[in-house]
Amino acid sequence: MKTSDMSPTNRNRALTAAELDAFASELDAVRAHTASRLGESDAKYIRGIVKWVRYSEIAGRGLLFAGAFIPAVLLPAWIAGVLLLALSKIMENMELGHNVIHGQYDWMNDPHLNGKTYEWDIAGTSENWRHTHNFRHHTYTNVRGLDDDIGYGLLRIFPEQRWKPFHLAQPLIAVVFAILFEWGVAAQNLRLGRWFAGKTSKAQMRELFRPAGRKMLRQIVKDYVIFPLLAGPFFLVVLSGNIVANLLRNLWTYMIIFCGHFTADAETFPKDSIRNESRGHWYVRQLRGSSNLAGGRLLNVLSGNLSHQIEHHFYPDIPANRYAAMAVEVKEICARYGQHYNTGSLPKQFGQVVWRILRHAFPSRPRKSASPLLQTQTN
Amino acid sequence: MNAHAPAQLPRQRNTLRRLIQPLVAPPVFDFWASRINRTWSWDRCLARVVSRTDASSDAVSLLLQPNRHFAGFAPGQHVNIGVEIDGMRYARSYSLTNAPRADGRLEITIKTIEGGRLSQYLCGTARAGDVLDLGQAFGDMTLPTHIDGKWLFLAAGSGITPLVAMARQLATQGMAVPLTLLYWARTREELCFADELRAMAKAHSNFNLRFMLTRQPPQAPDEVAGRIDQVPLDSLVDGLPSQQVFACGPGGFVENARELLSPQVKSFSSEAFTPPPRVVLDTGSVQVTLASSGRTLTVPRGQSLLTVLEAEGLRPASGCRMGICNTCSCGKRSGTTRHLHTGDITDEPVSALKLCVSSAATDLVLDL
Repeated sequence: MKTSDMSPTNRNRALTAAELDAFASELDAVRAHTASRLGESDAKYIRGIVKWVRYSEIAGRGLLFAGAFIPAVLLPAWIAGVLLLALSKIMENMELGHNVIHGQYDWMNDPHLNGKTYEWDIAGTSENWRHTHNFRHHTYTNVRGLDDDIGYGLLRIFPEQRWKPFHLAQPLIAVVFAILFEWGVAAQNLRLGRWFAGKTSKAQMRELFRPAGRKMLRQIVKDYVIFPLLAGPFFLVVLSGNIVANLLRNLWTYMIIFCGHFTADAETFPKDSIRNESRGHWYVRQLRGSSNLAGGRLLNVLSGNLSHQIEHHFYPDIPANRYAAMAVEVKEICARYGQHYNTGSLPKQFGQVVWRILRHAFPSRPRKSASPLLQTQTN
Repeated sequence: MNAHAPAQLPRQRNTLRRLIQPLVAPPVFDFWASRINRTWSWDRCLARVVSRTDASSDAVSLLLQPNRHFAGFAPGQHVNIGVEIDGMRYARSYSLTNAPRADGRLEITIKTIEGGRLSQYLCGTARAGDVLDLGQAFGDMTLPTHIDGKWLFLAAGSGITPLVAMARQLATQGMAVPLTLLYWARTREELCFADELRAMAKAHSNFNLRFMLTRQPPQAPDEVAGRIDQVPLDSLVDGLPSQQVFACGPGGFVENARELLSPQVKSFSSEAFTPPPRVVLDTGSVQVTLASSGRTLTVPRGQSLLTVLEAEGLRPASGCRMGICNTCSCGKRSGTTRHLHTGDITDEPVSALKLCVSSAATDLVLDL
């Protein structure tokens, strides 16, 4: 990999405490500027997405039924139906669900777009997601031992993670995890590793599993029982379509999410790096732990604007449709402070992720200690 | 007067609803149902504007048709009306001005307030066919089931709205008890319901009506000039000591009425409306009411609400404590808050207030 020749150390100038404060206030100003302009256009945007999600879902499911009942168009209708249903689920999970659950549209006071009550069309509950993602992942981004998204307790992505022989199988495990990604996310809060190690009692597990299990069952019944049954004798046509649509969604979300924090230049941090963390320090950590995807508007929408992962981590509660515009200023500020703004095309960034998964399946050691977040700490 | 109509809804419908409940995602149901009829919703109370009429020079009456989720009301009660303006939903309380009708329709009368976002929208922009958010009726200033004795209603400005509803209720029942209504306004052009009230006074000898003007001399025989503390109340009202008084209007008016009357009348109830403060303070302390748990706490201004609630022994859900994870956010029904990072002031009710980065500027009511 060409980019890995340049270690992050060389790419980021260490900032003094005063510079960090200035960096933070410039980034805060970008937020304030955007927040003060939220209004009609943002409401229209997210309602437009809702419309897309609903109509593409009904069109996708309708085509699957059409294929089931009209043998002449079975294959083309099935393929188009699967693609539309997958598209609907991708949009619902990423641009609608993920962003609404962050509370990005709470300012609208629309009960159907409320971050605390929105429930998305995926196996995991929104409630678990609010904890593992909104709180742990976004507060402790890429802090080892606090952010469970680092390899999801399953994969070794960074050399700082301890190697175990089990990791030799991770190229295969990573593929299985991608296919079953929604179930992996659904189980994230259950901390199955701790359970297998006997650290979670049966009663605790039951308590944890009840809401998670109810949601999983709901999704299974909906996609794999009720809708297929509606097709009567052509049960299998609809069932297979729903399975493949969910699978496509899983693969796509896995790819986008892994590109967010596991590219070559993304860094992880030790627990003590967040002690007495200033706002500027927090921004720098978010920046160094995140990576963007360069693409057009289509990629922005299909990735739920996680193509602007950096902006998303700076401003997780600002409507995602604003990130593209904010990115212009954020990029310029980062450049002025000598901070590397990690971005690249989807193939390039995902290539780096795949390389990490393959490379760190084998024992590896951190190249150098990452550059400190605060210059004063080096003294 | 019991007007809780939906209690008589067919039981079967409720059973069916319970049965299919697990299969329904309300946002999806609402999306498709609202394509057919914009007031159809799985569980939200909405109302369609049926008609609008001018009530005075600066007030408009809207007739609303609520959907089946509205549970009825008693005259004197209020509802929250929600409207989306520039992408954001704003809500205000309005008194229902009609007695319950057979067709279930509701009437609200809105006075334009300078700088009032919702009143300007409802008076200026709202048209027949628009759909508004509707809350359930609330408020304790209502007439008892068995009405007897003498009644005195004191209204100032838009304080007429709950009182006209009760006057109409009494009129539909033949005005069986003596009622006096003293209704203050600056000028007669601002009086709402004047023609109707005069007709009511003509029809019912038991109904004594006076329009009280503070900025115009009286012309008609039922007009009197002067503020509440400038007029001879005991000559305007028969047998003051035996009156049961309802007063409604701005805070200052209601306070005056209470001071003047509550020592010398049979009973005194009031409701006042207060605008948000002009000057926002960051020192001293305020009362925070936790609506769900029914507690009221005294907490300091200017500090993170999360911290001060924790200092009171509460354990609200919390996460990052820096305003990004949204774990601690909860609904704010009323009051003014300041954002601790930006200094921004919010005096609107909001569905998600981040406790960790907000401080109280006035008394608050939170959904905790």
